[in-house]
Amino acid sequence: MSTDERNTTGGSPTAASTTPKPYWIGLGLMVMGAVWLYNAFGLPQGARYAAVGPGLFVTVAGGALLVLGALLMVQIWRGETFEAQDAEDADGATKMDKRAFLTALVAVALPIVTMGPLGMPFTATLSFVLVANAFGSRRWYLDLVYGAVLASGSWFLFNQLGLQLGRFFPPLGV
Amino acid sequence: MGTFELLLHGFGVALQPTNLMWALVGSVLGTAIGILPGIGPALTIALLLPVTTALAPTSAFIMFAGILYGAMYGGSTTSILLNTPGEAGSMMTALEGNKMARAGRGAAALATAAIGSFVAGTIATLCLTFAAPAVAELAFYFKPTDYFAITALAFCSVAVVMGTSRTRGFISLFLGIAIGVIGIDSMTGQARLTFGNMQLLRGIALTVVLVSLFAVGEILYVASRYRSTPGVMAPIKGQLWMTRQDFARSWKPWLRGTAIGFPMGALPGSGSEIPTMLSYTLERKLTKYPEEFGKGAIEGVAGPEAANNAAAAGILVPLLTLGLPTSATAAVLLAAFQNYGLQPGPFLFTSNPALIWGLIASLYVGNVMLLVLNLPLVGIWVQLLRIPRPQLYAGILVFAMIGVWGLAGSWVDLTIMLVVGLAGYIMRVYDFPIAPVLIGLILGPMAETQLRTALAAGQGNPMVLVSTPLSAILITLAVLLLALPILLKRLRATA
Repeated sequence: MSTDERNTTGGSPTAASTTPKPYWIGLGLMVMGAVWLYNAFGLPQGARYAAVGPGLFVTVAGGALLVLGALLMVQIWRGETFEAQDAEDADGATKMDKRAFLTALVAVALPIVTMGPLGMPFTATLSFVLVANAFGSRRWYLDLVYGAVLASGSWFLFNQLGLQLGRFFPPLGV
Repeated sequence: MGTFELLLHGFGVALQPTNLMWALVGSVLGTAIGILPGIGPALTIALLLPVTTALAPTSAFIMFAGILYGAMYGGSTTSILLNTPGEAGSMMTALEGNKMARAGRGAAALATAAIGSFVAGTIATLCLTFAAPAVAELAFYFKPTDYFAITALAFCSVAVVMGTSRTRGFISLFLGIAIGVIGIDSMTGQARLTFGNMQLLRGIALTVVLVSLFAVGEILYVASRYRSTPGVMAPIKGQLWMTRQDFARSWKPWLRGTAIGFPMGALPGSGSEIPTMLSYTLERKLTKYPEEFGKGAIEGVAGPEAANNAAAAGILVPLLTLGLPTSATAAVLLAAFQNYGLQPGPFLFTSNPALIWGLIASLYVGNVMLLVLNLPLVGIWVQLLRIPRPQLYAGILVFAMIGVWGLAGSWVDLTIMLVVGLAGYIMRVYDFPIAPVLIGLILGPMAETQLRTALAAGQGNPMVLVSTPLSAILITLAVLLLALPILLKRLRATA
């Protein structure tokens, strides 16, 4: 991308108007800060041998998130704009592709459920097919083969290197 | 023993056949991930961290150093030929380099980038060789107060410099610090923010956070805004290499880039973007051919590429001497040290000289390897770009999954991967900087320990935090860093 392109995308009125005011980010940060603060109250702030106890840093982190979240909401109210970052294969200015995003999200969430009972090679193969699909690959049977080869290959390799990846396919006990 | 003698011993370690092999593995991997999109040096080293259980520390760090340097070489190739910078530090290279390539001077641009990287890498490693022991010597006298002041300054500069606004920088930083307090408190054994979950007692591993933010966040983000039009690769076959005039125009930018990059790399927060940007601006000011800038000036490739590599060496100074990471990659390297139960700092220089000096010597060796790997073989490397994107990103997720699952085989880590990965997606959409999270996560517990030790020694008097000259200066600097921009704004408003 050339410099002039970069300059025109920065702070252009279209970019500002397409971004709605994301108050929820500030709110989310404040909630997280509150959880940390609440937890800190249960911890001793001072210890006998050290002037500051285990609670101090939790208090600081929670308090800071609470304040920063509020500050962010004020800035948003005053018209702070947010522009999506540009990545190598992504264009921040394009509209979000919800289907692709959700497919990729399922691929990331899948391991929580299947990694333990069905094993790493099976899970990784499935996630591979899903991500490839999210990126527009339509030949899922080929992706299934690629994914299976990559997943099983890395399972054997990393097991050799001493990583504990569990059984190959637990339902069959192998 | 003098530095020179220690370095010779280091070469004895680095030139052992097994270590040479690991340096080669690192250099090859580093170049490859520098060229590939979606995967950078920090993520690669994080994914390789589990390997540390099977490898001797010296071999592992020699490989990691190869990855660190190699990524800088590889990043320039895609910038020049495709106009897609693989790493943040290669953005400036793309400006002039791609114009050169389109004008049929791609081979010369690649050559000045590779040779400039080699010159800068070698000079910066030389600086590291002599600066590191000196700083380590000084660091022997540092008290917990001083270390706390250093981390406080690092926090402020990272949050202020990185990202679009200070608020967003600090939000990222405190997110990292907040994640860092989860688990058992190392000084009292108290469980903090574990919500009754046994697995959270050991805290959230840096690898999980890093893999989730960089790999998972990136995959979700790119998937949602995928631009599938592939770039057009500029041809380089049969082109003229660097001419005598190209050399004459390149060598000064190489040296100036090194002079900017090395010290900047050692400072927290500057990463590789700021030194390369500075170098580019400087070359643009100093050039005798201002009309060529923006159309493919070789100085605009030579300077930033040198700065880029010198900065990579620069980050090793605070990391090795103080245990202070100044970038995401440095934070992962620190985690690797901790995996081995090693704490980088002045004592590592005396307790484990073979590791430190073997690592430094391997940087010289790695630079030579990378020059050979990159200059004549560049045509082979660009073939990597033929990997179709859907399968590439799918593969990255598979490795991310292995990295997280392999840590402890726990579904809790996988859940954290989903949550933090979503956070990484949101941070990309709303433009929050990512590196401060990692700096906060790894430096937070360090800052806490030093703060509490310092306060305990000072019997709770907060004045102890500015009781040494160094700590007083550093804390003042940190406060200035925060307050100055606000004050200047006020002054300008009233004037």
